[in-house]
Amino acid sequence: MSNRVLWLLAGCLSIASAASLSDADAQALLRQSDLRRNGWSSYVGRVKITDYESGKADEEHLYQVSQKGPDKTHVEFLSPREKGSFLLMLGDDMWVYLPDTSRPVRITPLERLTGDASNGDVARTNYAYDYDATYLRREKCGDTECDVLELTAKRKASTYHKIVYWLRVADAQPVKAEFYLTSGKHIKSATFDEYRPVAGTTRLVRMTLYDQIRKQSHSVLEFSAFQPRELPDKLFHQGRLDRF
Amino acid sequence: MNARVLILVPLFCAVSLADDPGCAPDSPTGEIRYALSLTEEGSFAAGLRVPGADTGNLLLLEPSFAYKYGDRWRFSTSLAGLAETQGGTHEQVRVRETYVGFTAGDLDLTVGKRILRWGAGYAFTATGILDPPRVATDPTDRLNLNEGRELGEADWIAGKQEITIVWASAGLVDQHQPGVRDTAAVRYGVMFDGFDTSVIVAHDGGGSTLAGANFTRVIGDAVEIHGELAWRQQAAVLLGGKYTLRSGFSAIAEFYTPPNTAYYRPIGMPASAGRQHYGFLRLGKSPLRELPGWKEWDVTVSFVSNLDDGSRIGVFDAGRRVKNHFRAYLHAQTPGGKPGRSEFGAIPYSALVSIGVTVQM
Repeated sequence: MSNRVLWLLAGCLSIASAASLSDADAQALLRQSDLRRNGWSSYVGRVKITDYESGKADEEHLYQVSQKGPDKTHVEFLSPREKGSFLLMLGDDMWVYLPDTSRPVRITPLERLTGDASNGDVARTNYAYDYDATYLRREKCGDTECDVLELTAKRKASTYHKIVYWLRVADAQPVKAEFYLTSGKHIKSATFDEYRPVAGTTRLVRMTLYDQIRKQSHSVLEFSAFQPRELPDKLFHQGRLDRF
Repeated sequence: MNARVLILVPLFCAVSLADDPGCAPDSPTGEIRYALSLTEEGSFAAGLRVPGADTGNLLLLEPSFAYKYGDRWRFSTSLAGLAETQGGTHEQVRVRETYVGFTAGDLDLTVGKRILRWGAGYAFTATGILDPPRVATDPTDRLNLNEGRELGEADWIAGKQEITIVWASAGLVDQHQPGVRDTAAVRYGVMFDGFDTSVIVAHDGGGSTLAGANFTRVIGDAVEIHGELAWRQQAAVLLGGKYTLRSGFSAIAEFYTPPNTAYYRPIGMPASAGRQHYGFLRLGKSPLRELPGWKEWDVTVSFVSNLDDGSRIGVFDAGRRVKNHFRAYLHAQTPGGKPGRSEFGAIPYSALVSIGVTVQM
């Protein structure tokens, strides 16, 4: 067999490898990437969001996030002007508790926050639960070889209609993303900036969201104090939403 | 055995069951939450039809503190100190809430003064038997001055079901408020097929019994509907809905018809007026949406009308947040209707404007 035939065969195998990934494993790849953000089935952690306008720090928000399974998220708002507020997401159902209403108020999926960073960016980080993945291509993103997935919302509570998601080939670690509304408008982009070992897993600790409508705005999300913790089911009951 | 005993016996039984070590978390830790806000508000009433000052000033200091130990114990208190100047100056300290809570497995026990809101309505409620008075022109209690009831409460949660038993005093520590009686109430809540529903039965000491139900349901991405039906001598009905636009603005509409009985009758309404019908409409930027270029602003316009006497009141609220700790706001309302012969027409001014600033820590 000549060298020319061997190179041809290797090329075919490489193409077949990429094709098989696109056929069967995009969703598995997405699940693997979620482990970088949701490494445990039940956990608690804090998210600090700093909004920047024209490069200068503007507002800060602090949240305590408790998550159990892919569909139960309880968010406590800790920044001064939001203290005493809570958000609960149970599958597609959402409630918000605001101190001035003193009761859990049912909210529609459209009432998720948008802007630089949204409640959805804090509370809906299990993409394999919210989106169907399709394999698009493999390409360089900076110095890293990436698999590119297209995620399409499969739940009405999904934060975005479509996400284009770049994952590092070596370990499916998220590198960057683009977020789209139902209208097709490109609303935000994200870079996943820093990962660190946390309680035996490697977790995302810092990401940046860039507003594609107001180009001068971006938000930095810092994840801290994340730890696995057994959480009682009743923490995720709307009737207890006012209790920290 | 009276209703008070019926409520207290399960409470004490639950406390004795609470020694089950299996309920305790592995390593309980204490957590603290606190907040402090200071509000300064000036008001001006135009077209005042009664003797008195047409300008006023309010200084409001509101501290709150909460402590939780593990998943078992919690303590919460929220106070409001007011200095109000309208002609003369009056100071007052209100205990909005102060309660102790204890969790034993699926059971939560609470004793103290606490705000409960069981009604599903936004501007009105038919089933909110223990709720603070719902004011259609200020449904969110914009200055956070509502106070809770002194009560003992047991909550049992299992899956999507919840049973709450409450005995609320007309005033053990606080002074008795006119029209408020000791109340024993049971609420069963369940989530099924997207409907968040509650069934409520309550009995006022020496008074009548209320039975009612309410629901909320989200339809699609943008629509929420809610309703309440209560029976207390006669039926009270509330139907409402909310529509959220993709732009982030939302509209809330409600129709409410209470009977003109002692329990439902507004202050000043003659007993001969018969059943009343109300309409409510609110347009605003949802406080949950951070619109590009609008994220510092909260803006709402509301309109309430008594459909029987034709009186109405318009309310405008605008607020702007500044950085992390400051908020400036404007609140204005203008009533209309036959003076002295209609519900909102009896309000003794033609317009009220309040401007304030709040510092939050």
